[in-house]
Amino acid sequence: MTASPFLNIQGVSRRRAGRAAVSGLSLHLNRGEVLGLLGVNGAGKSTTLAMLAGALRPDSGHILLDGQRLDERPALARDTVGWLPESAPLWPELSVDEHLMAFARLRGRSKRDARRLADAMLDRLQLGDLRRRLAGVLSQGQRQRLGLACALVHEPPLLILDEPANALDPVQVAELRRLVRERAAAGSAVILSTHVLAEVVAVCDRVAILHEGCLRHDARLGDHAALEKTFFGIATGATP
Amino acid sequence: MSLGTMTRLELRRLAVRPLAWTLAALTGAWLAWTFTLGLGQFLGAQVRLAALADAPGFTDLVAIPLLAELVKLSFLVVPLMTMASLAGERRAGTLALLWSTGLAPWRIVLGKYLAVLVWLALWLLLTLAMPLAVGAQGQADWGKLAAATLGTALTLATLAAIGLACSAATSVPAIAAAMALIISLALWTVDRGAQAAGVSGGFLEWLTLATHLQNLLRGLVVSSDLAWFALAISLALILATRRLAADRERS
Repeated sequence: MTASPFLNIQGVSRRRAGRAAVSGLSLHLNRGEVLGLLGVNGAGKSTTLAMLAGALRPDSGHILLDGQRLDERPALARDTVGWLPESAPLWPELSVDEHLMAFARLRGRSKRDARRLADAMLDRLQLGDLRRRLAGVLSQGQRQRLGLACALVHEPPLLILDEPANALDPVQVAELRRLVRERAAAGSAVILSTHVLAEVVAVCDRVAILHEGCLRHDARLGDHAALEKTFFGIATGATP
Repeated sequence: MSLGTMTRLELRRLAVRPLAWTLAALTGAWLAWTFTLGLGQFLGAQVRLAALADAPGFTDLVAIPLLAELVKLSFLVVPLMTMASLAGERRAGTLALLWSTGLAPWRIVLGKYLAVLVWLALWLLLTLAMPLAVGAQGQADWGKLAAATLGTALTLATLAAIGLACSAATSVPAIAAAMALIISLALWTVDRGAQAAGVSGGFLEWLTLATHLQNLLRGLVVSSDLAWFALAISLALILATRRLAADRERS
C-alpha cells in the first residue's frame, strides 16, 4: 500500500472574471518534494496557489492536506501553509519585526514562540539590520525577502512561493535556492511558481505546466533543453 | 486569540497613520475652542440664569452641546478612520494574506471594529475630560451627562459599523468614505420629509438616528433607543462580514 500524498488536489476548478481560470486540476505533492509550477501569464498559476493557500475557495473539487479537506478546516491552512503571493503584499505602516510577529501570532503561535520564530527568521534571511524599518520604505528586494520571511515564519510543512525571485539580486537568488532546498530537506513540500525556467531547473524535483487553466504536463525534471522544448511546445500550441 | 491579534494589529496600524493623529489634533483643537466659547457664554449668563426658577445648568449649556459638536464632527471623522480598514487591505492584497491565516471573516471585521472603537473611545474621553474637569467643581448633572455620553458613544459605534460595512463593499477607500458619509447623513435625516409634512411618530421617525440620540442627550435612557443602536450596529457588522466572506467565493 502506498502512503497518500501530503498535498492532494482533486479535480479543482475555479472561475474568475467570468472565465475558467483553473479547470479540473488534479495534482499531488509529497513532503520533501519541490514542484515547479510553470505557465504563461493567465495560465491559472496564481489562482491555483491562492486556492492552495486558503485565500480562494474552489468552485468544485477538493484540496486535501495530509488527508484532510482544506475547505472543511480553515485552520488547516493557518497551521500548514506558508504563502508568498506575487508582489509580496505587506502593511506599509508596520516594521519588519512587527510583520513577523503578527504573522506568527495570526498563525496561532504563542507570544513567546512567535518571538523566537521571528528572531530566527530575521537571522536566517539577514533582515536583522532592518527589523525596525517600516515595510513602506523597504526596497523591492527587501520587501520580497520580508514576504518570504512572513511565509516561512511558522515553519510550515507546505510552502507556496509565487514568483519568489522577483526583484532579488543574483546573490539573493542563490540564497533563495539554498533556502528552498533546505526547507525541502527538512521535510516541507514546496511549490514554486515562476516564469524563469532556469529557476525551476536549479531547485525543483518535478515540474507541472499549466495552460489555459488545465494541467498539461506533470513529470520529473529533465534537463533545461528538454524542459524548454516541452514548455514552448505547450505555450505555443505546438504540443497538443 | 486571533481576534485579539487582529485588534492589536489594527490598533498598531491606526497608531502610526498620520491621518489618525491629524484628525485627533484638528478635532481636539476645534472641540477645545467650542468648549471655551460655551463656558465663557455660560459664565457670562450667570446673573441672568440665577434669576430663573428652573434655569438650565452647566450640563445643558456647555457639556451636552460639546458632545453634540463631537457627534457633528464624527460624521466626517469616522468615515475617514474606517475607509481603509477593509478597502485598503483588499487594494493592497493583504486581505488575501489574512484569508490564508484561516481567520474567519467575522474575526477580521470584529477585530478591526474593536480597534476603531478604541480610537473613538479615546477621542470621546479626551473631549469629555473638558466638561468633567469643570463639572468636578460640583456644577454638573451627572445623570444627564452619563446618558448623553452613552448616546454619543453609541452614535460613534454605529457610525463606525456603517463605515466598516462601506469599507467592506469596495476596494477604493475614498469611495468607502463617501458612501459612509452619505449613508450616515441619510440615516440622520431620513424623516426630514415626514417632518416637513407635519407627520410624526411613524416608521421614518423610528428609523432616524437623531430621534434616538436626542432622547439620550436629554437624559432619557429608553430601552427602545438602546435596541435601535444595537440593531443598527449588528446589521452593519453582519453586512460587512457577509461581503467579506463573499470575497473568497467571488474574487
